[in-house]
Amino acid sequence: MTLGEFEDMMDSCVRCSKCKFIPQLVIQSKRFSSICPSIDYYNFHAYSGGGRMITANAYHKGRVELTPEMLDVIYRCTNCGGCEVSCKWVYELEPNEAIHEIRVAAVEAGAGPMPKHKKYIELVERNKNPYGEDPEKRPAWLTDEITTNESSSTLYFVGCTASYRREEIAFATAKILNSAGEDFRLMGSDEMCCGSPVYRVGDQKKALEIMQANIEQFKETGIEKIITSCSGCYNMLKVEYPRFVKHDIEVIHTSQLIEGFLNEGKIKLNEMVPMKVTYHDPCHLGRMAEPYEKWEGEKIEVLSQVFIYDPPKPDRRGANGVYDAPRNVLKQIPGVELVEMERIREYSYCCGAGGGCKSAYPDFALWAANERLEEAESTGASTLVSACPFCGTNFRDGIESRESSMKYFDLTELVLRSIGGGK
Amino acid sequence: MLEKNVYESFMKIVGERNISQDPAVMDSYAFQWCNEIESAQRGDEPQRFGVRPLAVVLPASTEEVQSIVKACNEHKVTFKAFCTGMGPWAGVSDPRAIQIDLRRMNRIIEIDEKNMYAVIEPYVINAELQSELFPYGLMHHAQGAGPQTSPLASHTSFVGPGFTSPYTGFSGRNVLGVEWVLPDGEILRLGSFDHNGKWFTGDGPGISLRGVMRGWLGAYGGLGVFTKAAIRLFSWPAPKDWKWKTSGTIPEYNWDIPPFWKMFVLNFEEWEEYKAAMYELSDREVTMVATTSAPEGLAALFTNTKQEAIETIFAGLLAKTRNYIVMLVAAHTRREFEFRTKLVRLIMEKYGGNDLIEEGVTVPKPMHYGETVRNMLGGHAFRFSNCFQSTHGGMDTIAMAVRLAQLNQTVKQKYIDKGVIGDDRGLGVWITSYESGHMAHMETPTVYDPTSVESCLGYAAYQDECNQMDLDEALGMPFFIVGDDVHNFYAERTMHYADWIRKIKAAFDPNGVSDPSHYVKGDRKK
Repeated sequence: MTLGEFEDMMDSCVRCSKCKFIPQLVIQSKRFSSICPSIDYYNFHAYSGGGRMITANAYHKGRVELTPEMLDVIYRCTNCGGCEVSCKWVYELEPNEAIHEIRVAAVEAGAGPMPKHKKYIELVERNKNPYGEDPEKRPAWLTDEITTNESSSTLYFVGCTASYRREEIAFATAKILNSAGEDFRLMGSDEMCCGSPVYRVGDQKKALEIMQANIEQFKETGIEKIITSCSGCYNMLKVEYPRFVKHDIEVIHTSQLIEGFLNEGKIKLNEMVPMKVTYHDPCHLGRMAEPYEKWEGEKIEVLSQVFIYDPPKPDRRGANGVYDAPRNVLKQIPGVELVEMERIREYSYCCGAGGGCKSAYPDFALWAANERLEEAESTGASTLVSACPFCGTNFRDGIESRESSMKYFDLTELVLRSIGGGK
Repeated sequence: MLEKNVYESFMKIVGERNISQDPAVMDSYAFQWCNEIESAQRGDEPQRFGVRPLAVVLPASTEEVQSIVKACNEHKVTFKAFCTGMGPWAGVSDPRAIQIDLRRMNRIIEIDEKNMYAVIEPYVINAELQSELFPYGLMHHAQGAGPQTSPLASHTSFVGPGFTSPYTGFSGRNVLGVEWVLPDGEILRLGSFDHNGKWFTGDGPGISLRGVMRGWLGAYGGLGVFTKAAIRLFSWPAPKDWKWKTSGTIPEYNWDIPPFWKMFVLNFEEWEEYKAAMYELSDREVTMVATTSAPEGLAALFTNTKQEAIETIFAGLLAKTRNYIVMLVAAHTRREFEFRTKLVRLIMEKYGGNDLIEEGVTVPKPMHYGETVRNMLGGHAFRFSNCFQSTHGGMDTIAMAVRLAQLNQTVKQKYIDKGVIGDDRGLGVWITSYESGHMAHMETPTVYDPTSVESCLGYAAYQDECNQMDLDEALGMPFFIVGDDVHNFYAERTMHYADWIRKIKAAFDPNGVSDPSHYVKGDRKK
């Protein structure tokens, strides 16, 4: 899609501000009523989902140029999709798609992405990861106690953050796979970034090159199934890749895989992990994890001015994200008491790290993490659990900055403890 | 662009972070729903981008608002304040205007349980206030514009009927006092607050200025800035330990219905029976909700997607639905509940009605009860084409509402036949009784396509014809009269009331800096 193809949609925004709040039926308190970290932090309407759709429309119509402030408007957004969930309660609009397209347009015009983004895109091209770390050190987390099978058709795609910043997640995932007797291989130093940080900031051309190279590599090595412990990687491989590169590789997140292991009795959660936890739904594992289903049909005017699609277009409203698997796993860990925050599932509040914000706007990313941490703390839980290394990094930074007594763990870490493989 | 020194004077007040003049940011304020209709009515090409403000400021306090307004007077810059901002009345009309976005002023200052009022700032939204009131066993009147809009804006500056109007009236009736930054920068506090620090009444001691402040219609933000408002509260008919609880996943949420609640959709073959029943149901104070729409509207009320609504229409809903009242009996006790439901049935039988829920014609799910009291059902009308707007807007007797509905049908059908507005067979209305008496609000929601020039022009012509009908058929004063031209249109046959509004505007806004936009321009001093 291009901005031009979205013009009718962008013209149809009624500027109602629903995109600033969680779906209004589920609002339980004033404190936790909002859905969008960006409008919460920056306040001008342009920083909301609808506001960005209007600025994108204004740019498309030639009313405005890509000024430095407009670039901030475009990029100070975690691209979390919360606005779209709330908007679609009533309207057939896709503000998050428009936000992505204005980023693509900004890159095509030579104005985007932001300098910090350009820097990490260079690093991805050079070092295969946005952190600029040595590709040879990618598997440094791998210890002798982990068994891999390099001829396996199942790949554990570790991802950049778990490889270099949250090695404990990579380790826990691999140990769980070993315990379950699940054969898997790694790409080791050949593993390339999934392309998420490049794609999210609108550099579609380079992102596409990465997608193609990765799929080619997977095919060459006979990969039929990919396991990922990162929600960002999961979203790219499962949802975005098929839009651009054809592949029939099964993609599964660790939370789903572990739920399956438990159902099949492949692992046993025997050890007590006594803690009261609350679970944060990562955007890319939750509302953004629904695949784009190809639709072919026609638009029919059934009543004057009222059109429907025949056959009906598949809804992409966040309903079918991976919400139950991580919760089902947590509930089975002996000693774990799960309490919910007010904003959960498709109306979860973003951690603040995504969409290139952690690198370009660290103050905003940290503020958003603290907002979410305050909500987590309000549940009385001692521990925040999630299933994404990137969310985890931002939450750990938040915990440190606010000197919170709250602990953060990835789901895999708690499972590893309960199967007796961790402290 | 504002002159550098003027921009800097605003920046000093709110800080660098809270002011912008970037064109793209300004366009997110210039773009408004229904601008396309107003531009069409002016003879311009329909479009949603209206007048772009020269700057937007985000004050955090009354003092900052006051300083901004004083600076506007000093530098001859007009201003317009708004909250969530939906509709052209939220935008500016003067090319030399700034927009005051009140988003940072969002505190609930006080909830007085015993005296049943709340004091709020502009950007508290209906859903938030409602959530915080439940633990006290209280509720407020929320306007039909939706749960994401500001009760302060509606109470101070609009009329504001809503879905609970039979019980809670309308916004303009429930304001108990305000803190008001006048157009010249002075602060005026109306009501008892200034006398004893409590906001229990909006009038006195001394003369009341509520008529000046908002009158019947409200000033649509054209007469200064309201920075606090005390609003009346009502008893919430649910046990105090009941909690607003949802579960499930979008769009199929579940909602815990309080114990003594029941919805009815009473259907009457003819308007005459409907009218008599509506009078009696309202007079007997049995219902929290008494709302009427077209049969097509009923399809939208109790479904969760457009597809579902359309399928319901084609499944035969229209053939079984005539003139209906969606009612919600919401009682505090079992005895009260039994009494009310019995009375509803008796009135239904007396006027030969039938209950469409009992007959399975329509089936509201628990979440639709929640959506009803959260004022979300009006938003469902947007599902048909992402857009609708209403014509007329009478707030008169129930009989007048019915007369208006009947007269409007043929006019609306004419535009349906032209294919420029949505086809509801001309029956599309929204009627709600209010204050459990003989009064009712009526408007005619009309679906159009905002992306079609033909549809926008068609809707605009339909709107003009409806306005003319109001006068020709003596249908009473609409609740929605926006701008000098429309005021003049109605004032000609209504004792030139607008002259008095202009005198008020001139007296309170001597420099003419409070953007009149959809209010009136001040009278020039002779």
